[in-house]
Amino acid sequence: MTPREQNFPALLERLTPECERIIAQYEQKRSALLPIMQLFQEHEGYCSPEAMRAAAGMLDLTMGEVEGTVSFYTLLYRRPVGKYMLQICRGLACSINGAEDIMAYFREKLGVGQLETTDDGIFSYEEVECLAACDRASCMQVNLDFVYSLTPQMIDEMLVAMRAEAYSTAPMAQIEAPGRTWAISQESDISRGKKSFGAIGVPLPNNAGGVGDRSGIIMLDHILARDVEFFTKTSERAVVDARQVVEVREEEGTRAGH
Amino acid sequence: MPVTKVLTAGIGEVDLRSIDVYRQRGGYKQWERAIREMQPADVLSLADKSGLRGRGGAGFPTGRKWSFLPKDKPLRYLVCNCDEAEPGTFKDHMLLEETPHQVIEGMLIGAYAIASHHAFIYIRGEFRRGYEIFCVALEEAKRAGYVGRNIFGSGFDLELTVHRGAGAYICGEETALLNSLEGKRGEPRLKPPFPAVEGLYGMPTVVNNVETLAYLVPILERGAEWFAAAGTERSKGYKVVSVSGHVRNPGNYEIALGTTIRELIEIAGGLRPGRTFMAVQPGGGSSACVFEEHLDWPYDYESLAKAGSMVGSGAMVVFDDTTDFVKVAYNLARFFAHESCGQCTPCREGGTWITRVLDRLVDHRGIPGDFEMLARVSSGITGLNLCPLGDSIEPFLKSVMVRFPEQFKSRVLAPEAQPA
Repeated sequence: MTPREQNFPALLERLTPECERIIAQYEQKRSALLPIMQLFQEHEGYCSPEAMRAAAGMLDLTMGEVEGTVSFYTLLYRRPVGKYMLQICRGLACSINGAEDIMAYFREKLGVGQLETTDDGIFSYEEVECLAACDRASCMQVNLDFVYSLTPQMIDEMLVAMRAEAYSTAPMAQIEAPGRTWAISQESDISRGKKSFGAIGVPLPNNAGGVGDRSGIIMLDHILARDVEFFTKTSERAVVDARQVVEVREEEGTRAGH
Repeated sequence: MPVTKVLTAGIGEVDLRSIDVYRQRGGYKQWERAIREMQPADVLSLADKSGLRGRGGAGFPTGRKWSFLPKDKPLRYLVCNCDEAEPGTFKDHMLLEETPHQVIEGMLIGAYAIASHHAFIYIRGEFRRGYEIFCVALEEAKRAGYVGRNIFGSGFDLELTVHRGAGAYICGEETALLNSLEGKRGEPRLKPPFPAVEGLYGMPTVVNNVETLAYLVPILERGAEWFAAAGTERSKGYKVVSVSGHVRNPGNYEIALGTTIRELIEIAGGLRPGRTFMAVQPGGGSSACVFEEHLDWPYDYESLAKAGSMVGSGAMVVFDDTTDFVKVAYNLARFFAHESCGQCTPCREGGTWITRVLDRLVDHRGIPGDFEMLARVSSGITGLNLCPLGDSIEPFLKSVMVRFPEQFKSRVLAPEAQPA
């Protein structure tokens, strides 16, 4: 049993009153399916099989009905995603205003492609359809928070900030024993040597991450407001250097602070 | 003609998210007046007289849509469609985030007009921030007694439920939206029955766009004649147009319908220096391009239809001479292929094939006959689907293939260069 599976009964008990409140809003129970799955996803980072089974029970649906519905919607994730879900707009207005370069830059920096997650479980990457912010192209969402008018420099700053944030709190399983805690599903591309969206049971450095986790974006707000010092190592390959970045960061912080 | 701020008045100047600020500017007065002084039929006839047409894409007269509800069924629903995802459109996103109380008031008035006691708003899943802002505003409105039981002591009850989507463009289509709201896959339904007869939970339902409902507030305040006086003979009133693409100041601009396309581009700051105009897509990703000869045509339902295009959701994407129209066509085809729900074969398969052909044209690896195949396949999709998504693939593609055939044809490899 993974820690997430162990914790699920307690989570279910905690969320049940909220689920009941949601169900009461509708004349027919089934309408509560999407909101309930969104609620579980906010806590677990994705729509876990346990959560889908629980929803099926609450709404008198079969597991097939729940999975069949969940699979229709792109914002309901059926596999764990990284702590930060990066969704870059590839819509028309963005694409004629530089989105292709922005997407290429992200791919190169992160070393991942469409619907893939970085090895450290921090970033998932997806190019998505028009996000309805065409006046501030090129745009993206980080865990559903908008970031507008992207430039390569902003991307550098964002990634450093989010990586630092992801590694700044204990426990840091990956750092203590790299490679130890990875449980990869047999059917995933990772077992064949490719990075994949489908890393099962990956313990995340911080809390659940994914949709609803705002820690990175708060940091980003600070950076955009320029009220923290930041630095970038433009030559770094994402993934690999996360730890060093934190160390350098702490060193810098010590120097600046004392 | 200049910009006229009606729905957009105060945005960027004052904090309209606050109920106090909204009330200082006359907010919720029209809701109170409707409930105290008017019968639902009065509101309906006011909307009818104003000439207000659906601002979500179809442009159907709002009063007429309401009048289709069967008289003998008292249980009915109003659903506000805020699943804005048409490429290039960002007006509802702005209205939701910047002036949520106006959206609420419009919904309340709309629900009253059709004598509904339960209204829903379906908010696109990606608008998490807008959803949070709207929920806060709704709580304020509930506390103030504008929503809930026995509103203004009139005995009229009205519940308002906020529902979030979860990422599917097709849920902007009204029957797909209703399925999604019922907790099902967002697949469009076969029509008839239309939602007015059999909608949410099988009950009579009206689905209206955010902007349409919001316009009810100024129409009640200033009268149907005021609204009808703006615009053209058959396209009356105002419209928020999202202008983006190759203009200097992309943004939402509210204009009287009938403002020319050239004026709209100028309002958005004009083209970037040194660039020349090539085309404009006037009504979202589903609309055909119009060109230089249409620049002085009025932006209204009839003129754009005559030009072979449409007002649609009011999203104007401007293209200058840096545009690669094959790439743009690929981008839109890929969008529709990706968003097809898969129920209808022409849309599901046709969209995928067109995307494949365009993909190799983008890479200059076209096969002889590709140009003709694009035309044949895209026209073969149109008219054979449950909903308008499949029919949305052809207009843009056809318009640019007719106008810029060389951009497409020059990317077909000569027979001797074809891989064996």
